[in-house]
Amino acid sequence: MSAPVVAGPRLAGIAPWISTGARLVLGAVFLIAGALKVVDAQSSVTAVRAYRLLPTSLATIVGWGLPFAEIALGLLLLGGIATRVVAAASAILLVVFIAAVASAAARGLSIDCGCFGGGGDVAPGQTAYSIEILRDIGLLLLAAWLVWQPRSRFTLDRFSSAGDQTRESA
Amino acid sequence: MSSSKNLNARERARLASEQAAARKRDQRILISVVVAFVVLVVAGGILFQGWRSSRSPSAAPPAASSAAPVTITNGKPIPLGSADAPVTITLYEDFHCPHCADFEEEFGPTITQAQESGAARVELYPMSFIDEGSITAANAMACAAEAGFGQAYYLGLFANHTLQWSDPQLIELATKVGGSPSAAFKTCVTRRAHADWVTSMNAAADQNGVQQTPTMLINGKNVEIESLTPDALKTMISNAGQK
Repeated sequence: MSAPVVAGPRLAGIAPWISTGARLVLGAVFLIAGALKVVDAQSSVTAVRAYRLLPTSLATIVGWGLPFAEIALGLLLLGGIATRVVAAASAILLVVFIAAVASAAARGLSIDCGCFGGGGDVAPGQTAYSIEILRDIGLLLLAAWLVWQPRSRFTLDRFSSAGDQTRESA
Repeated sequence: MSSSKNLNARERARLASEQAAARKRDQRILISVVVAFVVLVVAGGILFQGWRSSRSPSAAPPAASSAAPVTITNGKPIPLGSADAPVTITLYEDFHCPHCADFEEEFGPTITQAQESGAARVELYPMSFIDEGSITAANAMACAAEAGFGQAYYLGLFANHTLQWSDPQLIELATKVGGSPSAAFKTCVTRRAHADWVTSMNAAADQNGVQQTPTMLINGKNVEIESLTPDALKTMISNAGQK
C-alpha cells in the first residue's frame, strides 16, 4: 500500500477537522449569498448587468440562475455530500467571481460586486474591489483545501459507500 | 496447505477488486445525482424567477386622489401634486433601480403624505439606464400622468418593481390603480408615444449633474439620502415650507 497523501500523522489527525470547518464556512457563505439574492431577482439581474460582460438576455438568465447555483452548492457543502467534486465546482465559481470583479476594476467601472445581494453601479470612490477580491481569494483557499482534503466530520457521505471512496481517495 | 493459502489470497484479491469496482460505480452514481441536483435547482430557479417577473401586477397602495392631466414636455419633469405647494421635491429615479425601490419603500409614504396635504409637490425625472423595463415603465408613467392618474401609477410601478414591465403588465397596472384605462393610454404605452421624452429625461439628469439614482432635491437643494430617516425628511419638508 502506498503512503497516504497527508504530510504526517499530526496533519492526518487534524486535517478532517480543518476540512469540517472549511466545509461549513464555505457552505454557509454560499447559502447566505444565494438566499440574499434569490429574494430580489431584479437586483440580481441588475448586479450582473453592471459588470457589462454579458449580453442582456444572458445577463438575465445568469442573474436568475446564479443565486440558485450558490444555494445548491451551499447545501451540498453543509451536508458534506461528494465534497471533493462540490468543492472543485465552488472553486471554479469563485475563480469566475474573482475574474469578473478584477475585470470590472481593470475597466474602471464603478460597481458593487453584488456578492451578497444589492450590486449595480455605485458612485466613483464607493468601490471596494480589493476587499471583495481578498474575500473571494480566502474562500477559494478553503475550496482548494477541500479538494485536497475532502475527508471531514459530520457528513452525510459516510452513509454511502461512494462517500467512503471519496474519502479514501483523499 | 500452501494451495489453500493461495486460493484464499486469490479469493481475497478478487473480493477486493469487486468491492473497488462497486465503490467506483457508487461514486459515479453519487456524482451524477449531485450534478442532476444542481442542474435541477438552477433550471427550476430560472423558471421560477421568469414566472415571478412576468406575472400580473398586484394592486398598488392606496393612491392620492387623481390629479389634473399633465402635459408632457421634452426635458421637463412630471409634476405630481398641487402646483401651489410651497415645497418642491425633485426626484430622479429609475423604476427598475433596486435602491430606488428601497428609497420608495422607506420615504414614499412621507412624500405622498406631503403631496396630499398640499405641503409639497414632486417633480419626477424618471430615468432609464437599467434595462428595457426602465424605458417602458418611464414611457408608461408619462402616459399615466397625461391621462390624470400619474400619482397612483407611480406608486403602483414601485410596488411592483420586480416585474419586467411588458406592455400587458403596464396596461394591467393602469386597471389596478386607476380603473379601466382609455384606448389612448393603451396606444400611448404600446407605441412608446413618449420615447423622445424618456431620452430627454436621461439628458436632463446628465445636464443637472445627477450621477446616481435615487437623487432627491428639496427646493433645489440636494438631500443626502444615505443617513436620512423618514422623520428627518418630514422635518426638512416642513422647514423648507416655512422659509
